[in-house]
Amino acid sequence: MPLAKDKLLELYRKMLLVRTMEETHGKLLKEGKLQLMGHFGTGQEAVSVGITGPLRQEDILFGTHRGVGEFIGKGMSPKDIWHEYLGKKTGLCKGKGTLHLADKKNNIPGLVSSLGADFSMAVGTALASKMRKTNQVTLYSVGEGTCNQADAHPSMCMAALWKLPVFFAVATNQFCELSYMCEHYPTQDVAPRAAGYGIPYEIVEGQDVEVVYEAAQKAIEHARSGKGPYLIEYKTFRMATHFTGDPGTYVNPKDLEEWAKKDPIDLCRKKLMDRGMMTAAEDQKLRGEVQAQVDGVILGALAAPDPTAQDLFEGLYSGKGVL
Amino acid sequence: MARKITFMQAINEAMAEEMRRDPSVFVFGEDVRVSAFGQTAGLVKEFGEERVVNTPIAENAITGAAIGAALNGMRPVLELMFCDFAMLAMDEICNHLGQWGYITGGQYRVPVTIRTAVGAGLRMAYGHSQSLESQLIQAPGLILVEPSTPYDAKGLLKSAIRSDDPVVVFEHKKLLFGGIDGEVPEEDYTVPFGEAAVRKKGKDATVVAFGFMVYEALNAAQELVKEGIDIEIIDPRTIVPLDKDTIFESVEKTGRLITVEEGRIRGGLGAEIAALACSEYFSFLKAPVQRVAAPMIPIPGSPVLEDLYLPNKDSIVRAVKRTL
Repeated sequence: MPLAKDKLLELYRKMLLVRTMEETHGKLLKEGKLQLMGHFGTGQEAVSVGITGPLRQEDILFGTHRGVGEFIGKGMSPKDIWHEYLGKKTGLCKGKGTLHLADKKNNIPGLVSSLGADFSMAVGTALASKMRKTNQVTLYSVGEGTCNQADAHPSMCMAALWKLPVFFAVATNQFCELSYMCEHYPTQDVAPRAAGYGIPYEIVEGQDVEVVYEAAQKAIEHARSGKGPYLIEYKTFRMATHFTGDPGTYVNPKDLEEWAKKDPIDLCRKKLMDRGMMTAAEDQKLRGEVQAQVDGVILGALAAPDPTAQDLFEGLYSGKGVL
Repeated sequence: MARKITFMQAINEAMAEEMRRDPSVFVFGEDVRVSAFGQTAGLVKEFGEERVVNTPIAENAITGAAIGAALNGMRPVLELMFCDFAMLAMDEICNHLGQWGYITGGQYRVPVTIRTAVGAGLRMAYGHSQSLESQLIQAPGLILVEPSTPYDAKGLLKSAIRSDDPVVVFEHKKLLFGGIDGEVPEEDYTVPFGEAAVRKKGKDATVVAFGFMVYEALNAAQELVKEGIDIEIIDPRTIVPLDKDTIFESVEKTGRLITVEEGRIRGGLGAEIAALACSEYFSFLKAPVQRVAAPMIPIPGSPVLEDLYLPNKDSIVRAVKRTL
């Protein structure tokens, strides 16, 4: 069933916001106004925004390092992200986490650096939801690269064993860091691994945000109704390189050409226009608004106070100081 | 009212009492319903399978799951059967568990208690016998405790479970299986972190001994007293935070410092205390600091070789004499 106008427009606006934030991040890096490298999710916005779209505020999200898509999708504000990215005292994590964004008010517990441990953490938050009868679903967003980590299999095992309310959303973007997926995988798909644990799974096309959203909605409802975990593998393509310092010499330009034709933002725009939900003028206006929002937020973040030497030793333990 | 119970019973009671007190406390780990060693035995009868959760054999992932549960309002007491096996969960413990509170700017606290067994003596060789406490002292954000008596085992474990910070409790196998008993009150009590216990007063040298090594030090003291040497024995009880005041007040008095641990010598607990002595309390020292610890080799399984490997009463006696 097609999404209502308001919902589809909201997803479109979020995808635009994600793309604009990441492009602006790249620009600031080049201009030397920012030190934090980026791991962008260009081309994957339909997945990141689509999977988080059906979540409720109380639901828990473990996002990835690949850009800000899931975080924007879950409701984290661009202001909060930028104050943290710039390492400001006013950031969500008081400037201590930078790319490891955590936002308790939106139930985003944080982002690991050595990827994979979050697989089991997501199982743990879901276990706590079940024990506390909170009706929360945990979304674990992950790339195919991380699905080879040691935590992946026992995490799927525990989630199935205890019928936990967790939605595993795998964005297969064809790259595992600086390698093509085929160098890490003997198979084309990751999802069938779920079958080994009796977890229902689907393989879904990942460029159409409406398709992504609808599949995610089904998975989340499944998890919330007490039927246990659900896994969806979304097929997408990473148009960015692994990180901003990676020139991407290993990427076949033909792949980029091919996937550029399936850009999720272009696809969604066309859909909105074809359905008479948005005019070209409205689109132009919206883009202007999003860029202005991002620019405004960054100006504010650049002017925000830095942490001080006193902050260095604060917050390690629940009490004061370092033990 | 104090009565005598074993080290094993003390640990079991601490968990049972905290589970009664706080519904968010649950026991999590491999075989915790039956309990391979006995610490969690019987808990499932009182608290049910929902709160005494058997896990798959996957130390990394069950530690991650405990972290997740703590991030969402629970207080897991995770058993990692042997500290050797806890090495599988080093990413979860050292990269995430201890650092999460700081890195999230204090938004999240991770009240996980990890209980893990240390110590040799069972002739089980390298992978079931190590004392790897010092592997964790480099990780920020953790509290590390190592009780040597039933009283401390119960009181420290209760403090651990109530703490909003992650705590690792090291339980020595000889204390668990040796039937060492001691006075433990019936009433509720806790032992605070960072307060050492003076196990024996003395004037000639300060021996800082961790966990089971407290008993080896006490035996050494009996030998030494025959020769007119009177050592003071300090049991730090918590490795992090370390009660520097009690240790170095003693060193100020005796002028001599000997550290004793069952773990290996390089970069060990004694190395840290010796470094503190050199950098902050050098003027107290009348002799070079001596470290009693295990050599830098794997633990051999042969009873003869294992006994040669382990620090004991005799190596403590020799070390004390070197300072006099």
